[in-house]
Amino acid sequence: MAKALAGYCAVRFYGAALTALLALPVTAEPRFSKQIIDHEYTGGWEHFVGGGVAAFDCNGDTLPELFIAGGDSPSMLLRNNSTPPGLKFVPQTPPEISLKSVTGAYPLDVNSDGYPDLVVLRVGENMIFEGGPDCTFKRLALASADKWTTAFSATWEAGNALPTLAFGNYVDRSNPEGPFGTCDTNTLYRPEGSGWVRSDLAPGHCALSILFSDWGRQGRADLRASNDRHYYVRGGSEQMWAMEAEPRLYTDADGWRDQSIWGMGIASRDITGDGLPEIYLTSMGDQKLQYPTGEGPGYEDARFETGHTAHRPYTGGDGRPSTGWHAAFADFNNDGRDDVFVAKGNVEQMPSNAADDPNNLLMQTEDGSFSEAGEAAGLASMVRGRGAVVADLNNDGLLDIAVNNRRAPFEIYQNVGTNTGGWISVSISQAGPNVDAVGAFIEVETRAGIQTREVTVGGGHASGALGPHHFGLGTARTPRLRVIWPDGTVAAWRAVRPDTRVSIRRAEKSIARPAGRLARRPARQAVRDFRLHR
Amino acid sequence: MKFMKLVAAAALSTGLTTVAHADGHSGTTVGVSWSNFQEERWKTDEAAIKAALEAAGAKYISADAQSSSAKQLSDIESLIAQGADALIILAQDAKAIGPAVDAASDEGIPIVGYDRLIEDSRAFYLTFDNVEVGRMQARAVLAAQPSGKYVMIKGSNTDPNADFLRGGQQEILQAAIDAGDIEIVGEAYTDGWLPANAQRNMEQILTAQDNKVDAVVASNDGTAGGVVAALTAQGMDGIPVSGQDGDHAALNRVAKGTQTVSVWKDARELGKAAGQIAVTLAKGVPGGSIYGSSEWTSPGDTTMNAIFLAPNPITAANLSAVVDAGWIEKDKLCQGVSDGPAPCN
Repeated sequence: MAKALAGYCAVRFYGAALTALLALPVTAEPRFSKQIIDHEYTGGWEHFVGGGVAAFDCNGDTLPELFIAGGDSPSMLLRNNSTPPGLKFVPQTPPEISLKSVTGAYPLDVNSDGYPDLVVLRVGENMIFEGGPDCTFKRLALASADKWTTAFSATWEAGNALPTLAFGNYVDRSNPEGPFGTCDTNTLYRPEGSGWVRSDLAPGHCALSILFSDWGRQGRADLRASNDRHYYVRGGSEQMWAMEAEPRLYTDADGWRDQSIWGMGIASRDITGDGLPEIYLTSMGDQKLQYPTGEGPGYEDARFETGHTAHRPYTGGDGRPSTGWHAAFADFNNDGRDDVFVAKGNVEQMPSNAADDPNNLLMQTEDGSFSEAGEAAGLASMVRGRGAVVADLNNDGLLDIAVNNRRAPFEIYQNVGTNTGGWISVSISQAGPNVDAVGAFIEVETRAGIQTREVTVGGGHASGALGPHHFGLGTARTPRLRVIWPDGTVAAWRAVRPDTRVSIRRAEKSIARPAGRLARRPARQAVRDFRLHR
Repeated sequence: MKFMKLVAAAALSTGLTTVAHADGHSGTTVGVSWSNFQEERWKTDEAAIKAALEAAGAKYISADAQSSSAKQLSDIESLIAQGADALIILAQDAKAIGPAVDAASDEGIPIVGYDRLIEDSRAFYLTFDNVEVGRMQARAVLAAQPSGKYVMIKGSNTDPNADFLRGGQQEILQAAIDAGDIEIVGEAYTDGWLPANAQRNMEQILTAQDNKVDAVVASNDGTAGGVVAALTAQGMDGIPVSGQDGDHAALNRVAKGTQTVSVWKDARELGKAAGQIAVTLAKGVPGGSIYGSSEWTSPGDTTMNAIFLAPNPITAANLSAVVDAGWIEKDKLCQGVSDGPAPCN
């Protein structure tokens, strides 16, 4: 590894001509080894979508367990019995969370007691389970209607002890005019007293992913919804709710740009280095990468040359358009740049789209473009991928992947890449409420620039992970890190050692951030301008 | 404006125009942006476009978007950069093509929206007349069964063409409905235009109507296939059924007598017309002045210049036309048919 990294340095500083002379790998190619778990996401039309996974440590050993939606099959908890560097999961589902009609799940510490809780999305009533020691669960009261829930996000709005919860609902099954043009409304729970007040977010446009994000670093998370045009048919679009006292939809007057896609999943991450998150949206045909325009909540498509579209299978010979579901930004080779994983698979037997539809691994290159590496990495599964999580499942510093598949076995991909760069795994916490500091921004600075990570709950496709925040470091030996806490106070920079797990508890000496919006930084030096209307 | 652009290009790149003319064409270049050239049917269209351009002395350049709407934007920029004087665009996603229309419009380059609607007044729309397809379907079925109980098997609810077709069908049937000669006893959209869904819908309608159905207006050959399967299971095959597309299996059903009509849209005619229109637009002729064009208002209320080609209803009376045109081989058309209509006799 040291040799490889030396090669990397040489190329960076003395030019590409040396690559051939040194004949050393400049960028590690990720490799995964696959394990199969006997569990499938099953069911009829109502389970064509959904199929989520939740990753969270419920027994306090720092290794994440996996909770898996099953649709018509019961949901399953996989205990993580790995002995690093090995990877081992064992089904062991407490009866309380062995449930049918589950579409997805998200972990978060709702009651701020230090034990992760689990929000379970269902066709029918949604449920919240309070976590306890050693993966015990107790159902919490939540007034929930009989809806077809396919999306979730949560945030702590200023001053609240409880999180604000948003549920995205798909088609209104009770409408006899349906299913086309009969999207259900979404449901918002805002804290009041010791519970929540429930309200509708209308109109809904058949959301398959929603995400609270402070997209403009203005100190407030707004709610983005990615919607499926297959069912709203006309008159709908992607949406973003400004989370004011009365939530309102952003419009073109705010800078928002309507867009109509088969929205299935949202990933959010600053990949240019300017401090503001970019957005990756899964869909049918083109997947979308969008950069903030800088005008309000406006976002603009990346050009085709960015290499992000993953629009049809890259192997297997099926030339029809692809169907994307879960998406996640993550640095799989620890080169300091976030890559993209997309879970792929046909809805069921949609003839307009590819039947053999492999997952994607889009590796980010130095100029901010992406290149496909799914096949060599061993991720080109042809089954119907749906939800997924990306997390370091065995604490070896390399990010692994778990994919829930419709009518096919669950897949766990252990990252066994070599010649990878350095990493740090950062756990942050504060005194309750909001112990996991949802809404914080973590910044890691190396000579290559600042990586910014917003702590969010939501997005993806019916899937989420609660746990340490992984950063690839490339060749950096002296990275430093700071946390901007959810209330805006800024911690001091602190040096961190590469290849370590870091726990940061909020200290009293954090300083208040200057009021107002965070200034946008210049993008990383090598990043090219891939905006459509540059 | 256009002239200025050409002068400027010639001044900047000496010799370029000479090279462009060296292969004998008139100097007009037409760029075609295909949505996904892996789909077999477009090869027929391409040959017809090429032939029309060659006949007009124009040059053909093309790009394949491979089902990516983002690639299509890039492709169109590239076709413009290569000197396209007019563009023929088969849109991958009509809702995402806007930036390409803007780019072409900025350069004064006309666009023909080919087969799929590009809802923009700056584009010329060329397709077959889907309302007329619906009329032809209903006309053929009504001629075969002037009275009785009708079932309407429609296309996908997400495809605007499904409603154009249904509208044309209604125009023809309305008088017979008003006169009490026919009654529509069942009607269903077909999710994804899938034959299996059409079959399931037809089965449900037959059950609900106790099999008392006399004719079926199905909107394409795939759905007609599902309908005929449902009818066959009840021993009812042979009642009038319509379709569209000239699918080989459907034409064979017409020869067998289990399908009444397949409205055929000859891709060679569409390609030929597109080539001719593109060359004419490239010469600066406004879309509204093109022979056969009319002003048309889209479902989204955009006024555009358009030409709608007339399709060709294939019935037992004119089956030979599809063999004569080379669309299907006689053996395939007449498979399992003896003493059928010409040429299967």
